[in-house]
Amino acid sequence: MPVQMNPARLEVSALTCRFGGRTVVANVSLRIAPGERVALVGGNGSGKTTLLRALLGLHAQSLGDLRLDGKAPGNWIEWRQRIAFVPQRQNGGQFPLRVDELIASARKGANPSQLAAAAQAAGVETILQRPLSGLSGGQLQRAWLARTFACIAAGAGLLLADEPTAALDFAGRAEIGALLVNTPVTALIVTHDRELAERCDRIIEIADGQLREQTA
Amino acid sequence: MSAMLELLQLAPVQRGFAATLLAGAGLPLAGVWMLGLNLIPLRFAMMHVALLGVALGTLLGMDPLLCGLLLCALCGAALAPLASHPQGLAGPLGLLMTLSIALALLVLAVAGVNATRAFELLWGSVLATQAADLMVLAIVVALLAAFQWRFHPSLKLMLHDRELALCSGVPVAALTVGLLVLMSVAVAASIKLTGALLVDAVTLLPALAARNLARSFNGILAWAAGLGAGGALIGFILTLWLDQPPGPVLILTMTIITLTSYIVRREP
Repeated sequence: MPVQMNPARLEVSALTCRFGGRTVVANVSLRIAPGERVALVGGNGSGKTTLLRALLGLHAQSLGDLRLDGKAPGNWIEWRQRIAFVPQRQNGGQFPLRVDELIASARKGANPSQLAAAAQAAGVETILQRPLSGLSGGQLQRAWLARTFACIAAGAGLLLADEPTAALDFAGRAEIGALLVNTPVTALIVTHDRELAERCDRIIEIADGQLREQTA
Repeated sequence: MSAMLELLQLAPVQRGFAATLLAGAGLPLAGVWMLGLNLIPLRFAMMHVALLGVALGTLLGMDPLLCGLLLCALCGAALAPLASHPQGLAGPLGLLMTLSIALALLVLAVAGVNATRAFELLWGSVLATQAADLMVLAIVVALLAAFQWRFHPSLKLMLHDRELALCSGVPVAALTVGLLVLMSVAVAASIKLTGALLVDAVTLLPALAARNLARSFNGILAWAAGLGAGGALIGFILTLWLDQPPGPVLILTMTIITLTSYIVRREP
């Protein structure tokens, strides 16, 4: 598991995202306290992924105020160094990338012992030399989880995960879900997995571009 | 065989041999980048931009190849801001290609130059390589290799997945400018060897074959250089042996190598 804990405070004010001429996130505000785990649920196309991508500066048509520990994203490269991201589409590469290369991408010049610990924590230490394209859905999820641990060990304080248990069987969902919610970091997890959502401190639903708090 | 060895004593043949080997080993790197960035149409656009550069060089009384290289580099840099657009560069590249050929014809007409001279570039020949062309090619290949060596870890991530690279602190926008400029210049530099219509022989085909055979990014780079150099060597020898034009023989050789790679390709 990560050796360093540095949970961040996330503050989002008046965030609006447009996609294909349509407003998918409308004037949304959100606050997540350090160490808090929040599940983001909602139907397909409701804007969950767009919201996460906007928090990473990957969605171009976004407007609003973002703060991580009170600091705005002046430099997106530095901003992203403080976030561990698990994307929904995990294997879309043009060229092969090995598991160890994915984990090492967490940070430039990352400490090899931290990378090894991250691989071990996610249970991928025996498949480090395998290309991502040759992994099963569950192995791929674990490989990304190892990268997440490496990011957190290197100082990331916020975890953004987009359907991190979608490709897993029941046992895998329970195991990966437990690892995610027990990671000592602030987390915003997009999920359709009810069990994972209920393990979080809060559940927020997104519909018609608006956020609505649910009782956990 | 003795006739072929005699031919190899001639300076133009030696220059052609050196240029073929250098291009075969070095320029497939640009093809790897094109594949990784999904920018295969870039080479079509740059062939036409190079032709416009040649036309401008002819009009201004400057070195046509140098003008082609410079214009390709400028256009490559100008395309960079559009590279992150969700719809990609396909539209702008098509526009650039059409605009370039129209402007090239216009410039040639204004200059009163016979267009056939400029269009000779479309069927270039490695045996017509001059010492200055060889020098330009060597510089371009050195720049490509230096860029790859300097930014290898970042390029590995970026060519696998742009968003993974962005989330890993890679300066994607700056590297995209560098890649577009170098790929554009590589296409312009290879035109003199194979002709604009056959540029793929030393850029894209070795990269395609390498992607079929390798299981890692480093493997793709090694296979692309090896297959490019090997194909260029075999193609050049066949050209002399069969006494046929080098461009078509070179691309046929590389096509056979690439087709073979599809047959024997390795699954992950």
